[in-house]
Amino acid sequence: MDELELLKKKWQSGEHELPKLTYDDIYKMLLKKSSSIVKWIFFISIAEIIFWTVLALFVPESSRKFTDDIGLHNVLIGVNIVNYAVFAIFIVLFYRNYRRISITDTVRELMHNIIVTRKTVKYFVIYNIAASALLIIGINVYYYLNQDIVFQYMIADFGVTNISQEKFMNMFFFIQIAFGVGMILLIMLFYRVVYGILLKRLSNNYKELEKIEM
Amino acid sequence: MNKELEHSFVTQLEENQNIVHKICRLYTNDSESHNDLFQEITIQLWRAYPKFRGDSKFSTWMYRVALNTAITLYRKSKRKIKTQDYEGISFKISSVPYDDTIEQQLKLMYSAVKKLNDIDKALVFLYLEDKSYREISETLGISEVNARVKMNRIKEKLRTILNP
Repeated sequence: MDELELLKKKWQSGEHELPKLTYDDIYKMLLKKSSSIVKWIFFISIAEIIFWTVLALFVPESSRKFTDDIGLHNVLIGVNIVNYAVFAIFIVLFYRNYRRISITDTVRELMHNIIVTRKTVKYFVIYNIAASALLIIGINVYYYLNQDIVFQYMIADFGVTNISQEKFMNMFFFIQIAFGVGMILLIMLFYRVVYGILLKRLSNNYKELEKIEM
Repeated sequence: MNKELEHSFVTQLEENQNIVHKICRLYTNDSESHNDLFQEITIQLWRAYPKFRGDSKFSTWMYRVALNTAITLYRKSKRKIKTQDYEGISFKISSVPYDDTIEQQLKLMYSAVKKLNDIDKALVFLYLEDKSYREISETLGISEVNARVKMNRIKEKLRTILNP
């Protein structure tokens, strides 16, 4: 490879034009803020954790009364305890993985650690979606088996009137399912867009490195 | 203390800035992106500097941080190449008599290198910097044998780009 050797020789000799920054130029750069993807991943991950935690806390009072009325109070307390325990585990894992990211690692280690950190949050979100879906399905199965009680309390708690029980229940289940599916699609879209932009290049490069080692 | 640290860092980076510029040239396509990347590498180097113990040379330590930033942390902007003048690199051929074909060959080779993917570029960059395969493998986190095999494949790839 003569040309490459030639380029190497020239490369070494420094006989090519490169910009020259002064001491002050470099000094000014120290004061600027980083725009690295690790920073973005960190902020987005924190936002996701906060979002799902707040969402879990945020249950309207009327809905709570309704679930209490139809006898789901203890079940939901149990679900919440498990839920927060899982949240705590995820937050600890995320923090540990994030701390492990170091720019002075080898290229491969650095990429691996970023991907692992990102995956923790991805699993956190998958857990939330799956748990929400299971909960919605479970509650709806319970509702389905106890339609009379549900309709009775819908009248009492939400003031539902002027509609037959059958018609109401059909609408009720339709809305529940449509809402659930809509939410999941929205979250999946968000994921494709945000991480498509942020991590595509990194994961491609990581795959390239892995290929070398295969 | 902090001022002292700043001073020694900036001085060392100023002395070794060519390494960073060369990486920026390889990984960006216009001068604005070049400056963005240089800036990001400087920030990352500065952040990691307190942990730099001086048991390796400053320049050796720089390769890893700078390449990590270019390949992993830096997000390429969508800017397209506006002008052609940045595409290559201009070599000052000092040898007498001035040989136009050599300069032409160098330019072609350089633009072939620029067409490689990010990882291949990193390997070629370290190769051009005359790093040993051990150093290359330690920087990228691959085995020495695989680094050697990969470099041979890249040479072949470059040959095909140059002589399609």
